[in-house]
Amino acid sequence: MKFKLVRTTKVDQLIKKPNNTKNQAEQTIETLKKNTRNIDDVLFKKIPTDEGIVTVIYSSSLVEKMTLQSMVFIPLANHINQIHQVAEVIDPSDLKDVTAKLDSGQTLLYFHQTNTILTIDTYSAPTRAITSTMTESTVIGPQDAFSESLETNISLVRRRIQNPKLKNEDQTIGTEANIRISIMYMDDTVNKESLDTLKKRINKIDYPSFTDISVLKQLIEDNPLSPFPQYYMSVRPDSISRYLIDGRIVIFMDNSQAAVVCPTSFFEMFISVEDYYNRWTTASLLRMLRFFGFFLTIMITPMYISALTFHPEILPYELLLNLQESRSKVPFPPLFEVLFIELIIEVLREAGSRMPAKVGQTIGIVGGIVIGTAAVEAGLISNILVVLVATSALLSFLPPIFLMSNTSRFIRYFFILSAGLFGLFGQMLAFAWLITHLEGLKSLGTPYLAPFIPRKASDLLDSIIRFPTALLKSKTGISKSQKK
Amino acid sequence: MSTNKQKFLNRYHVIFLVQSAMVGTGILTLPQKLSSVGYSQTLFPILFGVIASLTLLPMIWMNSKYPNENLFRINEILLGKWLGKGVNLFIVLQFLVFSSGIISSYMHLIQSTALPEQTITAPAFFFILLLVYIVRGGIRSVARFCIMTFFITIPMLYFLLWAIEKGEMSHFLPFFNYNGKEFYDAMKKGYLSILGYELIMFYFPNIIDQKKAYKHALIGIWISIVLCLITTAVSVMYFSEWQLKYVEFSVLNLFKAGEFSFIERIDIIGMTLWVFLILSTVTAYLWCAKRGMDSLLSKERKNYIYILALIVFLIIKMPFSQEFQEKLFSASSYVGYVILVWPIFLAIVHLLRKKQVQT
Repeated sequence: MKFKLVRTTKVDQLIKKPNNTKNQAEQTIETLKKNTRNIDDVLFKKIPTDEGIVTVIYSSSLVEKMTLQSMVFIPLANHINQIHQVAEVIDPSDLKDVTAKLDSGQTLLYFHQTNTILTIDTYSAPTRAITSTMTESTVIGPQDAFSESLETNISLVRRRIQNPKLKNEDQTIGTEANIRISIMYMDDTVNKESLDTLKKRINKIDYPSFTDISVLKQLIEDNPLSPFPQYYMSVRPDSISRYLIDGRIVIFMDNSQAAVVCPTSFFEMFISVEDYYNRWTTASLLRMLRFFGFFLTIMITPMYISALTFHPEILPYELLLNLQESRSKVPFPPLFEVLFIELIIEVLREAGSRMPAKVGQTIGIVGGIVIGTAAVEAGLISNILVVLVATSALLSFLPPIFLMSNTSRFIRYFFILSAGLFGLFGQMLAFAWLITHLEGLKSLGTPYLAPFIPRKASDLLDSIIRFPTALLKSKTGISKSQKK
Repeated sequence: MSTNKQKFLNRYHVIFLVQSAMVGTGILTLPQKLSSVGYSQTLFPILFGVIASLTLLPMIWMNSKYPNENLFRINEILLGKWLGKGVNLFIVLQFLVFSSGIISSYMHLIQSTALPEQTITAPAFFFILLLVYIVRGGIRSVARFCIMTFFITIPMLYFLLWAIEKGEMSHFLPFFNYNGKEFYDAMKKGYLSILGYELIMFYFPNIIDQKKAYKHALIGIWISIVLCLITTAVSVMYFSEWQLKYVEFSVLNLFKAGEFSFIERIDIIGMTLWVFLILSTVTAYLWCAKRGMDSLLSKERKNYIYILALIVFLIIKMPFSQEFQEKLFSASSYVGYVILVWPIFLAIVHLLRKKQVQT
């Protein structure tokens, strides 16, 4: 033990000992190496060139070998002038800043003779190819989706809107992780006030790191306590472009697939971009289904509780008989029966989404058929309730925005409990709460319940009923755009 | 407070604030209250509408003289600080008791039909929680709630379809079959149902377009009047004169006429949905009471609403006999009439004082 201690101190001394005999160039290299100690993917390579020895420093995890070869090594060996054309000169005195550049994928060239440092942007971290979306798929319309690279995502939007008015402002957030984000908007239509509010909110954020844009979204929402998502999130470039043209603001984040659109409204959570590709009749039908589906999914099972617990007289005699017959063996009161089966559905859903895909399907069948039928036959639940719960579970997946379908599932429990307390009266109280909560919500300063508030007549053309495309030219009221 | 920040009620807010504050529990019992004139009650709502339009005039006139002050402040300005505050205290108490009366009668109705195995304590508690939640958002939140209420509850008119089908048109005639005493009795009891438009005196300073406020309030009043007219007309068609007199919640009994193959008792759905109408009425009153509290204590605090809500809850749960409660609530309803004529009195004071200042 003692022996080891002595040995380490000796080594330490050797490293720390200032070596005055080394010249300036070697000293600089030494400092750089010290700054990047224990970052083992930073490589130093000494290369003899026409202008003396050059040390090439780069981070091997962020720079691809091919890029390095074509941008640095080949020019260094053959045409060193090319390097001077593309490279940028930086101040060698501040070496701390120099290492930060390595982290962003730049390559440093240190010229020993002249004691200068040049940097070349060689960032070429591996990215995913553009694939179709798994989460927001449509039958008609473009199939490409955003990937996790900021540049790719912006290029996918710029391809769709070829207009110099389309601006994107880059910014770095996250006090520790330094994540790049980009705020995109149409300069001539966007509401400048909303843009300022958004920027102010982003600048105020004090948060160490962002692993997905949904983290940022929660930090800049108007009411962080509400169960409702207040900004729209999508991975579809066509949907994002539509909103940009309408005058909304879009935020992209590096390493995050989705983009955030703000402001948005409650109603827009039920709009799929496919509605604009379908014929207007089909689109209207589907929209009505999604919108009223939301209210049905939070009301169906509570209705069952209310009707059976408090107001059996509300049902006609035959139906009541039918219901009572089906739950004649059930030992629980309706409230527990509903909670029991709703929780089983939640468990199935959660298990299905956490399990490896191949096992997941089997579990779905086991859960759905085996538990469902067995529970009914065992007399734990009534089969009519199974139908109701399954319907409401399916209905909850209708909104194209997944966050909204999560919300509807959460709110349903609230309604179930109120129905268990006071029956229909409790449900109406909960509904009144929902209405009040929704009308108090705001998305980037504009009311969440648009197009009811603020009213704009032309918005009604693109609401529950989507009118023929030729009529949908004007900007929506919620974007408060400069153009009409 | 800058004037811009203070003015945020647009015309739809005004229309539906006036309209929703008028339609509450009153309309449920309107046909019974008017039953002293029997089948001739059909046209009474129109008469009420005319009276309401006329009594609205001095209110708006009085407010337009002080465009940035509500009635509580006007009282203090015209009657002096202490007398004004005394009157204000009285108004606040009146509003509290009046709202408690509305809530209490609705809760008893709910309890007797929908929740027979519970006391009214828990439902009333949650109701008041929701009330506080809405009022905390300010008058704009109340106004928006009123708008939503209107559109959510208006489909209930459809439930009247069966009653109209089963009704008898000939009941309408004769129109004017009553004597003076019956007429007075019907007026006294029935007019209570349409109280609520007087609250405009309290949120008038928040209206953007004050010049057109009278017009918008009139639209609101007449929407309510039409609803009352439909109620009385259908009741007259459907019920016998004896039923009109003794069926207390005639509207609910109208709903009972409905028949679906999958729902038996529409009246329970209608009655629970009615909670929206009660909420929209009571929130408006409670908000005004809260403003009164602000002016009484010369401070604006959001927390006052909790105190007021607690008082309302205690009034509902007060340990007195049913008769006393009913007496109190009906007394407070009649005091509501005083508030209707109060602006006329204020207008006289205003004119007198103006002369004093001039001479």
